[in-house]
Amino acid sequence: MCVIRLRTGWCTARGEPLSAAEREAVAAVVRRAEQLDELEARRVGRLVARLEGMRRSAQGPAPRACLLCGETSRLLAPLRTCSICRNSACPKCVIDTPPHRSPIYSREQYMCNLCAETREMWKKSGAWFYKSLPKYILPERKVTGRYNDTELARSLQVRQEAGNSSNECKTDSEPGSPLSIHAPSFSRQPSNTDSRKSISSQDVHHEWSETDILTHGVSGLSLHRTESITQRSIAGLKRTGSKGSAYSLRSIRKEVPKPQPEKPTIPDSGFGTLEIKLAYDNATSSLAVTVLRARGLIGMDMTGLSDPFCRLEILPREGTYSNRLRTKTVHKTKNPEFNETVHFFGITESDLAAKSLEIVLFDDDRYGCDEMGSATVSLRDCAKAPTQLRLALSGASGNEPTGPRVLLALCYNTKKRALVVTICRAAELPPQDSNGYSDPFVKLHLDPDPYHKKHKTSIKWRNLNPVWNEEFLFETRPTELSRQNLTLTFWDKDYGKPNDFLGSLVLGASSKGRRLKHWMDCIKFPDHRHEQWHALTDTQHL
Amino acid sequence: MAKTYDCLFKLLLIGDSGVGKTSILFRFSEDAFNISFISTIGIDFKIRTIDLDGKKVKLQIWDTAGQERFRTITTAYYRGSMGIMLVYDVTNEKSFENIKNWIRNIEENASADVEKMILGNKCDLDDKRQVSKERGEQLAIDYQIKFVETSAKDSLNVEYAFYTLARDIKAKMEKKQEASNPPGARSGAHVLRASDQQRKPPSWLSRCSLL
Ligand SMILES: Nc1nc2c(ncn2[C@@H]2O[C@H](COP(=O)(O)OP(=O)(O)OP(=O)(O)O)[C@@H](O)[C@H]2O)c(=O)[nH]1
Ligand SMILES: [Mg+2]
Ligand SMILES: [Zn+2]
Ligand SMILES: [Zn+2]
Repeated sequence: MCVIRLRTGWCTARGEPLSAAEREAVAAVVRRAEQLDELEARRVGRLVARLEGMRRSAQGPAPRACLLCGETSRLLAPLRTCSICRNSACPKCVIDTPPHRSPIYSREQYMCNLCAETREMWKKSGAWFYKSLPKYILPERKVTGRYNDTELARSLQVRQEAGNSSNECKTDSEPGSPLSIHAPSFSRQPSNTDSRKSISSQDVHHEWSETDILTHGVSGLSLHRTESITQRSIAGLKRTGSKGSAYSLRSIRKEVPKPQPEKPTIPDSGFGTLEIKLAYDNATSSLAVTVLRARGLIGMDMTGLSDPFCRLEILPREGTYSNRLRTKTVHKTKNPEFNETVHFFGITESDLAAKSLEIVLFDDDRYGCDEMGSATVSLRDCAKAPTQLRLALSGASGNEPTGPRVLLALCYNTKKRALVVTICRAAELPPQDSNGYSDPFVKLHLDPDPYHKKHKTSIKWRNLNPVWNEEFLFETRPTELSRQNLTLTFWDKDYGKPNDFLGSLVLGASSKGRRLKHWMDCIKFPDHRHEQWHALTDTQHL
Repeated sequence: MAKTYDCLFKLLLIGDSGVGKTSILFRFSEDAFNISFISTIGIDFKIRTIDLDGKKVKLQIWDTAGQERFRTITTAYYRGSMGIMLVYDVTNEKSFENIKNWIRNIEENASADVEKMILGNKCDLDDKRQVSKERGEQLAIDYQIKFVETSAKDSLNVEYAFYTLARDIKAKMEKKQEASNPPGARSGAHVLRASDQQRKPPSWLSRCSLL
């Protein structure tokens, strides 16, 4: 190992690699941090839920009536105009904004409770710093037994049929007290079912004019538990990228597994559970891992379903040799039956004592596979006899994407009635020219877009990490936005021959994971800038 | 049930090995001090919830290893940090000179919005002092960063340092919120540019370059 010491004592090269014990020490800290992150994600989820609850129970703007409680204007209590959303609200439903802070606007010193709460949420959640809502987990009413897919499908159907009663989105909180803390009451099964329901019932908001929805967001669009930027794990310890490189010997079991007697229940932290079987064969020094099934995985697409697959790896790794295997993908489910056995070879008995198996679940998506949860088991347990285990999955680590990527800001501007897309910058773009650089620019369009607007950034010559900070407007309505997709394609400008394709990204209603969350946050929290990094894919889907 | 809080601030301690980062954090979180030196492996963190103007602010304070060989791990934690304490040892000239390098490290890896503070630790060891308080103050002025001398051993200015950093973060948060959505304008981010629009509407609609 070469360590160059400068005179200052500041090293330019990295020291020796970490020992197994050191790695374990660091991993323990990371795990402790993950627990804390989850607690935090739940707290932010409660803030989000509370705000959504307020939105749903608000009466909506009407002439001469309070936006929140519906009370009409009276002589002794005239309605105030909210300085942010410009709607009317009664004195009980507004707060005075301190005039000294912004003397320019001293004539308008009222803010409606909804706008005030949105601001509070932006501060309390840390979104002011991360520039988008951090990872959150919406509160869930404790249900005995989770939905299985058929139940889910049935409940979706029922909800869609019932989708024409306008009370659907109303909560049981009393309308007379909009600031009453009714956070828990509205949050029935907030995940998948809710998002589907609200899509189908959006048209039902007759009593809410378009501007209402514009100003206070589409109520109830809620995507459950996905990740976004939070400060995160160690580059060296947690790897992203899921295309397993190791070869895999598969024997897919076809027989239906008989129900196993339930093991002592493991606390499920909300990311579901995974059942596996471990069998070590010392004659062949091989470890057979059978991934049986997962239950209650988080939903990644608009319908709350996912396309899960598992990536398996024995840790700690030896040298640079990667021994990763993956299962096939099971489509459109939160309760996949994998029933697949993969084999790790060259596992010694001493490995069993010292090593562990890491299983990470990913959602299969052509625009980048998002992590859905992971579990690690020590191999010690399976040394003597085959063991079957039910593992609680812990939360996705929310790693920032690596490789070719783009920093993108979305903001729905209610005043302009437009989606404002800012292409901030890109990083690690692939070189396409013989000089080792590319001359990148980005094309973007919304689909479907009645205005057929196509935009292009400027060209950044000879630059693999271009900074654009260019802003583009797409006129659209939030109700439309929840059906639209934004496509970005990255190109290398070439004169005299066709431009080279550098990568693409699709965000929107039909995207998944962190891309879908970014989109939904933008719809749910209009007039706020939501900034996030996204990985580019090298495939051209146009 | 977990204690509730209003905000979570993530802080980070950096500086050469042995300057007393872990000791400062130990003093702040446990109000204790240990004379023996156990160099930190990679990273660690401690939690303390403080009260700032009636708001409960939970501080998650990351303690990093000063040793170079952990640098890959530790720099991964710069990005999400809202505040960073740069620590040197007043009895160790080199640790003071290295503050410049640590600042460069922050510029390369941390968010541009991060609040910073420089701590000259071990100020109880006056007989072994190599870096005068004035030099510390001058460095802080050069970089426009707040500065204080601390002693984890004698519990000097440790509370003050963390409260000051947390207060600065909170002030920035309030300021950002005002700026991003001031009363009277729907979306502050576009206030300035909205006037641009009045000047030249066509180009705005087709494209608006910020730079
Ligand atoms: N006299 C005195 N000694 C201190 C003070 N702070 C720390 N020390 C001592 O300095 C030594 C190093 O302290 P640590 O806090 O472990 O140093 P560190 O910066 O965390 O070092 P790394 O973890 O290797 O980066 C220990 O022996 C401490 O007891 C102080 O304020 N005064
Ligand atoms: Mg330490
Ligand atoms: Zn009212
Ligand atoms: Zn308002």
